[in-house]
Amino acid sequence: MRSQFWGLYVREILRTFRNPFVLLITLVQPFMWLAFFGSSFGNVPKSYLEGLFGTSNYIEFLLPGVLSTSMLSVGMFGSMSTIQDKRFGFMKRILITPTSKEIIFLSKALGSATRGLVQIPVMVGAAVAFGVAFTLSPLEWLAWVTALLCLAIGFSSLFLAVTAPSTDWQTPGVVSNFITMPLMFASSSLFPATQFPTWMQAISSVNPITFSALLGRSFVLGRVTEWSYLGYLAIFAAGMLTIGYFVSARWLKVE
Amino acid sequence: MNAMAIEVRNLSKRYGSGNGGVLALDRVNLSIRKGSVFGLLGPNGAGKTTLIKVLTGISDITEGDAQVSGFDVRRESLEVRARIGWVAAEVILDDDFSGWENLWLQAKLQDLKDWEGRAKQLLEYFSLLDRKDDKVSHYSTGMRKKLEIALALLHQPVVIFMDEPTIGLDVSTRRMLWDIVTGIHKEFGVTVLLTSHYIEEADALCDRIAIIDEGRIIAEGTPSELKARVRADIVQLETSEVLDPKVLSVLPGVEEVRAQGNDWMIRVHSSEEFLPRLFAAIPTDQIRRISVEKPSLETVFLELTGHRLGQEEPMRDIRKFYAQMRRARS
Repeated sequence: MRSQFWGLYVREILRTFRNPFVLLITLVQPFMWLAFFGSSFGNVPKSYLEGLFGTSNYIEFLLPGVLSTSMLSVGMFGSMSTIQDKRFGFMKRILITPTSKEIIFLSKALGSATRGLVQIPVMVGAAVAFGVAFTLSPLEWLAWVTALLCLAIGFSSLFLAVTAPSTDWQTPGVVSNFITMPLMFASSSLFPATQFPTWMQAISSVNPITFSALLGRSFVLGRVTEWSYLGYLAIFAAGMLTIGYFVSARWLKVE
Repeated sequence: MNAMAIEVRNLSKRYGSGNGGVLALDRVNLSIRKGSVFGLLGPNGAGKTTLIKVLTGISDITEGDAQVSGFDVRRESLEVRARIGWVAAEVILDDDFSGWENLWLQAKLQDLKDWEGRAKQLLEYFSLLDRKDDKVSHYSTGMRKKLEIALALLHQPVVIFMDEPTIGLDVSTRRMLWDIVTGIHKEFGVTVLLTSHYIEEADALCDRIAIIDEGRIIAEGTPSELKARVRADIVQLETSEVLDPKVLSVLPGVEEVRAQGNDWMIRVHSSEEFLPRLFAAIPTDQIRRISVEKPSLETVFLELTGHRLGQEEPMRDIRKFYAQMRRARS
């Protein structure tokens, strides 16, 4: 079982880095977020930014949020690789070996989460280029990366659970997009949730992206850290991993 | 020890339910001896691929039982999958990987410990050793097919399933693949179950053949046994003038005459003996076209199903003709 997991996990990782186009997009996209979205408040007076975001550099506020939403995209991308494997018959090739459906799920979920972590150093490097100064302790770095890993595992599992039972390659993509947008905007990843209408605040208050963004922001902006957020994200990852595991074991279909 | 590589008993597979459902396999029974090359011959949609999907565990069984290498396909799926190899109709490899990396992944999926020696032996056998580190997207179609067979053989399976292995290949690659199938069977002693809708392929490669049509096995035997079912030759004739059927039916060796306008299908004991008699009986300038069909799997298939392989809509007249001949014989 370990051998099969390792084979499929390595395949997930290598496939991304062997495709120069995918690699380029993976690395450039977060940078574009910071460059374009981060510059959207370029001409706003600093005092206004201080009042709204608690910092005069919006990118400082934005970075933990964009890293969190990136984990959402990474999860969606992971499920697309499952659809691709089904379409091109590779899933059949895997299933005609003594590899269980659970192992396929775990290798895809953890492989896609690992891919997501690669974006962290790229984004942090880009943020430094945009004038963000990081003063995090090693423990804070570790906690931040762990939070993002939990988020990536949780979303990868969620999207894989959506993809597993489907033999149609369009529906999971549409469903994933449908899930992605509200999760991204009804969170404090891009703006403070205090400015949201009540119903959006309600969604944001249970949205794991919010917890990851707030935790990261507390490290970057030197605010008081709510360590319980890390526990919440660990529960989210474990819960989604369990759901995805059982859904895949029962309903993973190739035709 | 069980001498059978595959045993199938009253196996049915239904897709969907109710009136909209399709019965893809209808009470199929098969016993395939270890070490043989067994062919499933039938037109598109006959149920060949469905049978492979069911035996490899990709599709569920609706009714009946199936065993591969002594293990129950339903209850001992992982045991079955450790003992089978699969060669798809379309080549399925990881194009981002080299040939060697594809073998590495297959070894991981089969949970093999010491696989490198076997992998090198297979690459050498298939003349791929010097290209092992090239990405498979740079391989030719023939090389990709060979690598796929090497993957299927890596874990020393008892049975290899080959689903339409030569479909879409050019003539020379198809011939190369025929040699490979014969070769791996002799070299590695593996049982091969291949599906095909090419009669000459089944005839050239298989020890035994089952003819499958509309989900049912309608005949099974060695190629010679199947051909012996049609002992007569079929002479097809087109004349320029309307003939009296008696002119033909009274000729010695004629078993059956069927006319459709000026087109004639004559079933004869021996075409070699019949043709001189025919030319003596009717003026040769009245013969526009003549052809002789010797007993072949094609004629067996035609006689059993009423239609030719690859012919989507049965020709009603030919079906009636053969139905009448069957009735006449029985």
